[in-house]
Amino acid sequence: MQCGTMVAELLQFIIAGLKSGAVYALVALGFTIVFGATGAINFAQGEFYMLGGMTGVLLTTWGVPLPLAVVGAVMLTAVIGAAFELVAVRPIASGDPLRIIMVTIGGSVVLRQAALHLFGPDERALRPFTAGPSLRLLGAAVERQTLWVWAITAMAVVVLAVVYRQTMFGKAMRATSIRRDAARLVGIDASAMVTASFGLAAALGALGGLVVAPLTQTAFYVGSGMGVKGFAAAILGGLGNPVAAVGGGLILGLLESLTAGYLDPLYKDAVALVVLLGVLFLRPQGLLGGRGTEKV
Amino acid sequence: MRTVRALAPYLVAIVVAAGPFLTDDRFLLKVLTFVGLNALVIVGLALLFGFAGQVSLGHAAFVGLGAYASAVCSVRFGWPWIVGFIAAGSLAALGGLILALPSLRLKGHYLAMATLGFGELASLAFVEAEPVTGGVDGFSGIPFPSIGGFEFREPAALYWLVWAIVGIAVLLATNLTALRPGRAMRALHGSELGALASGVDTTGIKVRVFVLSATLAGLAGALYASVVGFVSPSVFTVGSSVTFLAMAVIGGTGSLAGPLVAATALTLVQYLDALIPGISRDTARIVQSFQEDVYGMSIVLVVLLAPRGVSGLLKRLGSVGRP
Repeated sequence: MQCGTMVAELLQFIIAGLKSGAVYALVALGFTIVFGATGAINFAQGEFYMLGGMTGVLLTTWGVPLPLAVVGAVMLTAVIGAAFELVAVRPIASGDPLRIIMVTIGGSVVLRQAALHLFGPDERALRPFTAGPSLRLLGAAVERQTLWVWAITAMAVVVLAVVYRQTMFGKAMRATSIRRDAARLVGIDASAMVTASFGLAAALGALGGLVVAPLTQTAFYVGSGMGVKGFAAAILGGLGNPVAAVGGGLILGLLESLTAGYLDPLYKDAVALVVLLGVLFLRPQGLLGGRGTEKV
Repeated sequence: MRTVRALAPYLVAIVVAAGPFLTDDRFLLKVLTFVGLNALVIVGLALLFGFAGQVSLGHAAFVGLGAYASAVCSVRFGWPWIVGFIAAGSLAALGGLILALPSLRLKGHYLAMATLGFGELASLAFVEAEPVTGGVDGFSGIPFPSIGGFEFREPAALYWLVWAIVGIAVLLATNLTALRPGRAMRALHGSELGALASGVDTTGIKVRVFVLSATLAGLAGALYASVVGFVSPSVFTVGSSVTFLAMAVIGGTGSLAGPLVAATALTLVQYLDALIPGISRDTARIVQSFQEDVYGMSIVLVVLLAPRGVSGLLKRLGSVGRP
């Protein structure tokens, strides 16, 4: 094979990897935010990804213009996430992580089944955000929607970083995740911050599900698979660290796409599990985590 | 009250053993055999969830692993049934060990996510590894179980075989919970830090319980394959793992009887249309299409309202009734 085509092929794999990696990053951010606030893994995170895509599709079929449908689906999913916390997580007064995990497992089944009854068993696709042929880059093709994926992920990360660093709300969230009782002592409503973390995590997951829905079809059952991948990404970077979650997402996406490209597409879905077990075994604090377990 | 409590396990054992004498309905016996298969999985899950406080979302995958392993051993390799049965258990144990060692070394509930990933991957692999598993079409032509020269082909024989193995597993698990490992598990469930401080090898206990539960699931899979004679990948999904988990959660923590009752009840619901003659096909279909909703909802409700499950409620009733 010629050198030029080999480079183009590699570039194509990298583009594909960074595309799915950006979506994993959004889902991973959701895991990280809820873990920071509660110390528990939210097994419903993947379902928020699914709900984002599915409600977006539903709103567009009702004739809602696409930008409004995207914003509406994100907000609706955020409300569902916050409501889920209020109904199912807040009553666990002890904050026992095992019980929170069990509740989110049960909740994820309920959300998935509700989506099945509401939207039906079929796979659905969202219209691309901007129509038109793919762009060419050094012999590789970049779909327009891929640019949207990157742009929206980058925007979400920047907005999140500004909110966490600059606003009172963000500082309260960080304080809660560092030490809940201390945060309460300085007058922060810690339980409200937990609700907010579920809402925010749901919004980020929904955004991931929406931007990728035009490229890969979505259906009621896509949540749990995406949950595993997003969690693998979060723990690869270092659970509880938002920057690391994004890095972990991009690395996982690249590993998957290079495995699919150079080994066999069949092995693609095994990558996340291998990464998950490998990181837990070798470096549980993640690639970017320091010694011990840090939060945020 | 106390004598009833002490005699109950023996009475249940006698009724279960007498099953084939009480009915000659072949279909009912088959359904009750399926109840036994689920009970075998639930004995392991009850130890894992109810005693060691760990969550698995991948036990259907271990059942699948065992089913395909025994099918391959008996059909492709032509090995005696018992060899395939042991191979199925060993393979599931090995799979359990690979998942448990990295996940359980750490504090927290990483095992739940690792098993979910394993369950997702396994249900893909069962479809994709067509040369071994037969792909979507499934694996057919699996012979009945046979030990020595005796072939278990009558529904009653299959029923006794499955329930005998369930009986052995229940005895084993009862002993385990009554002795030192059981105390260690309860200590672990109460407070991991406290257990650690009292010299309990918490990681070792958790890993061993998980491997045991995976082995029982693998054995149940091997039995399933040879009882039905056909294995389809659609049975071993994460949805089925959630069903198993729901049985263990609803059954309650710190008990074997509770989860076994829950497993029996929830398995019978799946055959509603066949068991209740008067019920219309549509009613049964609607009940069954909402089954998973009910499982998910009951996990949430049990965790929120009755964290010790059915067995906890029964105990509370029992202590109210006692003088």
